[in-house]
Amino acid sequence: MTGPLITDWSAVSPYGIGRAAFEEGFRSGRTTSVPLENEDWLVGERADTEACLVPGFVIKEVLGKKGTRAMDRVTGLVVTTVGRLLDTTGGPLPSEDPDEDTALVLGTTHGSHKSMVDITRDTLTDEKPYYINTAHIPNAIGNASAGMCAIWYGLKGPNATIAAGRNSGIATLNYGRRLLATGRARTVLCGAAEEYTTDRSWLEWHTRGADETGTVLGEGCAMVQLRAPAADGRGDDDALAEVLGVSSGITGPDGVAAGLETVVGNALRRAGIGREEVWAVSASAPAGEAGRQELKALDALFGDLDPLTLGRPGQIGDTGAATSAFQVVATLTAAQDSARAAGRVAVLTSVDRDGALGCALLRMR
Amino acid sequence: MANVTAEQAATIKEIVCEILELEEDEVTGESLFREDHGADSLRAIEILASLEKEFKVTIDQAELSRMVNLNGVYEVLAESAGW
Amino acid sequence: MTTNPAGGVHDAARRVVLTGFGVFSSIGVGAAEFAEGLRSGRSGAKPITVFDTEGFEHTNGCEIRGFEPERWIRNLDAAQLGRASQFSVAAARMAVQDAGLDPADLREQRGLISIGTTDGESWDLDRLVASQLAKGSAEMDRSIAGRIRAGRLSASIAQELGLTDVEAVTIPTACAAGNYAIGYGFDAVRSGEADYALCGGADAMCRKTFAGFYRLGTIAPERCQPFDIDRKGLLTGEGAGVLLLETLESALARGARIYAEVLGYGLNCDADHQVAPLESSVARCMELALENAGVKPEEVDLISAHGTGTKANDVTESRAIRSVYGTTPPRTVSVKSMLGHTMGAASALAAIACSLAITHGFIPPTINHASTDPECEIDCVPNEAVEADLRIVQNNGLAFGGNNAVVLLGRYEA
Repeated sequence: MTGPLITDWSAVSPYGIGRAAFEEGFRSGRTTSVPLENEDWLVGERADTEACLVPGFVIKEVLGKKGTRAMDRVTGLVVTTVGRLLDTTGGPLPSEDPDEDTALVLGTTHGSHKSMVDITRDTLTDEKPYYINTAHIPNAIGNASAGMCAIWYGLKGPNATIAAGRNSGIATLNYGRRLLATGRARTVLCGAAEEYTTDRSWLEWHTRGADETGTVLGEGCAMVQLRAPAADGRGDDDALAEVLGVSSGITGPDGVAAGLETVVGNALRRAGIGREEVWAVSASAPAGEAGRQELKALDALFGDLDPLTLGRPGQIGDTGAATSAFQVVATLTAAQDSARAAGRVAVLTSVDRDGALGCALLRMR
Repeated sequence: MANVTAEQAATIKEIVCEILELEEDEVTGESLFREDHGADSLRAIEILASLEKEFKVTIDQAELSRMVNLNGVYEVLAESAGW
Repeated sequence: MTTNPAGGVHDAARRVVLTGFGVFSSIGVGAAEFAEGLRSGRSGAKPITVFDTEGFEHTNGCEIRGFEPERWIRNLDAAQLGRASQFSVAAARMAVQDAGLDPADLREQRGLISIGTTDGESWDLDRLVASQLAKGSAEMDRSIAGRIRAGRLSASIAQELGLTDVEAVTIPTACAAGNYAIGYGFDAVRSGEADYALCGGADAMCRKTFAGFYRLGTIAPERCQPFDIDRKGLLTGEGAGVLLLETLESALARGARIYAEVLGYGLNCDADHQVAPLESSVARCMELALENAGVKPEEVDLISAHGTGTKANDVTESRAIRSVYGTTPPRTVSVKSMLGHTMGAASALAAIACSLAITHGFIPPTINHASTDPECEIDCVPNEAVEADLRIVQNNGLAFGGNNAVVLLGRYEA
């Protein structure tokens, strides 16, 4: 049985806005880290001196002034990416021609951390605790970005938000796959997003382990378009890849490497894929011990096969919840450049500090 | 005309225009926020909240039904503030 | 082969039943006490103590007092978990126990954990912000910073129970999140991709969300009065509801008690407004759920409404119900009158309430009710529970962002 097909994608990344910018940047291998001292939109003292930012991402310039006055950064990233993916401009007013068959599944750490703490901060610093910025209240809910995208593009299908740490992007592929399998949607836009803000920089700084110092934060959003294959297999020429399967797990007492080996083994077995079919592996590659464990597992599983190894998805920094969504689009980009990719399988893995383990298997077209 | 000074009126108008994403010449004392300017209930509450904070007053939410245009806002605010 | 109440035929391997509940609520802990609270129309409303309410004029909420996470959380250090994760983990442990299972039974199986939430660890986040304001960004409370990621609400359950072959996701789709979580578990178990699912929702009351609802004018001064002409808004609440889902085949094989069957669900999005619900879209979501469950509107015996007690919700939802069900809709109650609005836990706790109503043959009342709003033309079963033979119950969940999720539950009939 053929799995759902990835037929298109887009991204807003430190390489720039849109798919072409990501492809160009990824191929160049150039770094995107910039000193923060010139970023005057960032308020307050920061924990970092540099970060990988989406260049020139000023929401009202990218999306226009209408309906963006109170839009937070992560929502801006998502709305921009989905607009590129749908190849439309959309807008803040409800659509007169809504689409009931397209679902949106968005991976996130938990919405905009900044939008949430801004509200609490207002309650603690102003004269009255309820002197909060009313327009920002809806932003402080974890599903705000997905809900706003639905408004901008008239997407009335299932609208879900998923938080599974670094595994969130892979988790959205599974959620999207199930929506298609159960007939709840005909097309699913799935992916994940993360914003850079002063508040995130401090939160990350305080939670980094001793082995994770030197992490440079990144931001962005990557989304793919997923649909079920045609019953007779015809008309699927636009497919870039087939989602063969997604497996997940939680790190147990045996540690990350052993846990991930099991998860990947389960994924291969459940999809009926042999190791020899593997063309490339893509690791989430977090800093520190977790990242080393991830590579250890991949080496134990596939080292002798010498697959193409896609490390961190480009030089775009630590994109948190968006990491595995960027792995997907980086793999799709790499496949275009590899004569050996067609018909073979990419293994994408992710490991997260809170225990989530994930593996997605994509067969490249 | 409600008992507001020209300066107060200017501040109020500025707040309303900012929230409704309008230029100041698009709004008159009589033009309706909802019908003429596409405001929804969230924007209406935002206007009320911003005025409360700016002028350090408390405005009963029941007054939203009168705050349909700038003149209505001037009146309600003047009463709530005891101007 | 058996026939389900809706008349459709399903193989026992593809029917999904509820066999264990974990409940933390302001009106009762555990399924038995919760059922008793629902039947007696208990109110969870009381002055808020979990955060500072000085400066707010109304300060009631439905908080949980005397919560002892250590009684339920054995393998993890409860102090390393935020309050919402403590609720979700404790409720999951309780659900497994209530199902008559040992966690070791689940370790050999493939599982799914899906936990809905609105605020995640925002109670902790409030305190993190306070520490930042007091001491500066470089000195904010590091122990809090480390435990606030929303993914932990679900991942911690797996770690506490020692489950590794499990997909754990947190679903932050706000106030419909519990139903989303149940729906995701339903699809995973029904397709055979998971042998069991632990699904539900958890939230801890926080200042951020209280202030937000307060500023929007939707916090009731004292009590929550859904569908009443004099309703003044919602009360924020907290807690967790976790449901254990498994196939009918599995439940029968181990002789488990079956509370109810999950018949199907529907999801859609208003794509209209960030905070105001859209009648046509809410109605469409109910139709999607009915279609998915293979149930006709006239077969539904009870609707558990989203029923927040705000002006906008109750009118919009009542009209949507009538547009699907016609002029004599089934009785429609709001358990939020008792529990307050427990946010991401709300539709999970309501789904448990629906199942207990089916099991024990009663309809939980809508309390604090004096006079029904003529714009809400439904029978909300005011104040007193009534005995009723319930076969099919609909559970509504609506959320900011226009996220709608409706679950259909049925009495298990062999």
